[in-house]
Amino acid sequence: MIELKGLTKRFGNVTAVNDLSFTVREGEIFGLLGENGAGKTTTLRMLATMLKPTSGTARLAGIDIVESPEEVRGRVGILFGGESGLYDRLTVYENIQYFGELNDMPVREIKKRIQELADAFGMNDFLDKRAGKLSKGMRQKASFARAIVHNPDVLLLDEPTSGLDVGAMREVQAFLIDQKKAGKTILFSSHTMSEVEKLCDRIAVIHKGSLVDIGETEELLGKYGTQSLEELFVRLAGDGR
Amino acid sequence: MKWKHIMIVFKKEVKDIVRDRKTLFSSIIVPIFLMPILFLLVGRGTAKMSEEMTTNITVALTADSYSPAAQNFLKESLETQGEDITIVDPVDDPWEAINSKKAKLVVSLDRDFEDKLKALEPFTLKIYYDNSLSRSGGAVGALRSAITKLNGTIAEQRLEALGINPEILTPVVVETENVARSGDGNMMLMMLLPMIIAMLVAVGGIPAATDLVAGEKERMTFEPLLTTRPGRMSILIGKYLTIILFSFASVISTLIGMLLAFIINPSSITMGLGQIGGFTMDRGSVILCLIVTLLLGMTFSGLQLAISTYARSFKEGQTYLSMLMFVVMIPAYAIMMIMPNDIQMYMYLIPVLNTVSAFKLVLGGMTNYTGLILAVATSLVYVVLSLLIAASMFKNEKYLFRS
Repeated sequence: MIELKGLTKRFGNVTAVNDLSFTVREGEIFGLLGENGAGKTTTLRMLATMLKPTSGTARLAGIDIVESPEEVRGRVGILFGGESGLYDRLTVYENIQYFGELNDMPVREIKKRIQELADAFGMNDFLDKRAGKLSKGMRQKASFARAIVHNPDVLLLDEPTSGLDVGAMREVQAFLIDQKKAGKTILFSSHTMSEVEKLCDRIAVIHKGSLVDIGETEELLGKYGTQSLEELFVRLAGDGR
Repeated sequence: MKWKHIMIVFKKEVKDIVRDRKTLFSSIIVPIFLMPILFLLVGRGTAKMSEEMTTNITVALTADSYSPAAQNFLKESLETQGEDITIVDPVDDPWEAINSKKAKLVVSLDRDFEDKLKALEPFTLKIYYDNSLSRSGGAVGALRSAITKLNGTIAEQRLEALGINPEILTPVVVETENVARSGDGNMMLMMLLPMIIAMLVAVGGIPAATDLVAGEKERMTFEPLLTTRPGRMSILIGKYLTIILFSFASVISTLIGMLLAFIINPSSITMGLGQIGGFTMDRGSVILCLIVTLLLGMTFSGLQLAISTYARSFKEGQTYLSMLMFVVMIPAYAIMMIMPNDIQMYMYLIPVLNTVSAFKLVLGGMTNYTGLILAVATSLVYVVLSLLIAASMFKNEKYLFRS
């Protein structure tokens, strides 16, 4: 479960995130929608304890992000972008192993977990290849595996399908559904409305750092009398366009 | 901050950099091969220059002062004084003759020099040389030496003709003996080696530093790293240790390169200016000197880490960090020529100067515990300061997520 309580972030005079309060239930996929600069990435960065909130706080899996950031990081898996963030000069195995070690997993457990993930994602053929020599699809799988090597309770994903082709997008979506089935709580931001519609149990729309509304997709469509999520999004976060 | 996390980051960074041919090549491989080439080439150049100044010194008369008698006089009097002097055909223009290598030096004689010689009067021999050419400017000494000997020979002949013992002119006979225990090339080594070591210690970690934060930001591996369990200080120290390791690896590879140059041609290590040897070093001073050097490496590793954290991209990091080279070069060159007994106390207090001074002191076989202990103490302060700067940058969201 993710619980935001008055989460606020200011950079100088600019308020990037303003008093966000909402709850993401355990085992649900929750979509965070907003235009570029609405504060989605800043919110996710605060939840991942990369940024300190100016005020307010949040609890991830019951742990406070301000009081126990290290513990929070041990319970969170992140994926910022579709297939980025791999060390090109390390093999896939070494990339995943590094994050397992950093998350305090015992060596034997890391080995076992990597084998499980390699089987699950079909990575056995390229586990010992350097990440820099992989195709985009292979990199993407390696990124997924690395993000969940420590079996986190919560997944934070910032536009995970950004820049990916249709096939790769479908892989991400399948990954998210699998993780949901495994009981993970998933908070993800996206610009692709069809994807949000397909995956999310609930959504929150934020505009200029503030929460505009939150609820199930159908519920919000009915509430605002809109036919599609795109129409709803433009109405709530489109500055009157 | 946990040691376990620091070591995980450190081991991964070392593995990563060792696999990066670009960084490995510029930090380790290049110095091993470049140093022997550099020292051998410069050494050969210096030796050649020195040879040109002392051998085959061609001297021509100006056409204005030429006469068969003058030409003969020069041949008989200067070619026989033990210097490698050859009198060549007369020339019109001294500058043109020297620059076209017809002669290294040009001389003119008074037209009535023979009459003056007979009348026991002095006559003038004017030397034309080009000081911008070492083969000409450097050869003046040899010609002067030959003329001094000639003056002595003529004076002896005149005194003997007067029935006076020529020894009357030398009341004091000078004898010299070099009692130095060290090789005559040690001075050159004292100038070069401390400067090279200090500069490399201070800048040797730059390729690694650029890659470790600015490079990670660009490759988008930095944010995932920050979301792992270790605190920022553990990640910072892991990276810091990696930079220190590669700073010293570059120093060691340079010293290996210099050793190779020494094995190939011992005098190349002093740029052809003599052999080295006979060092007497105080053990305590050597240890303190190495500590100062280690602390200099740590100080600059901290600064490099801070700069790399500030940079948005690899390229920006490279640009900022290359400026650091100039910061190091200025003090290193400033005291290059200073000898161990000329080191001032303030030099032990300033980064780079303290390491150069400590090495000069040790290579010169001198001891100055007060200076060295002061250098260690102030260096410790610089290490702490540079780490604090790096830590504050590493904790500052403004710099960490600059894009």
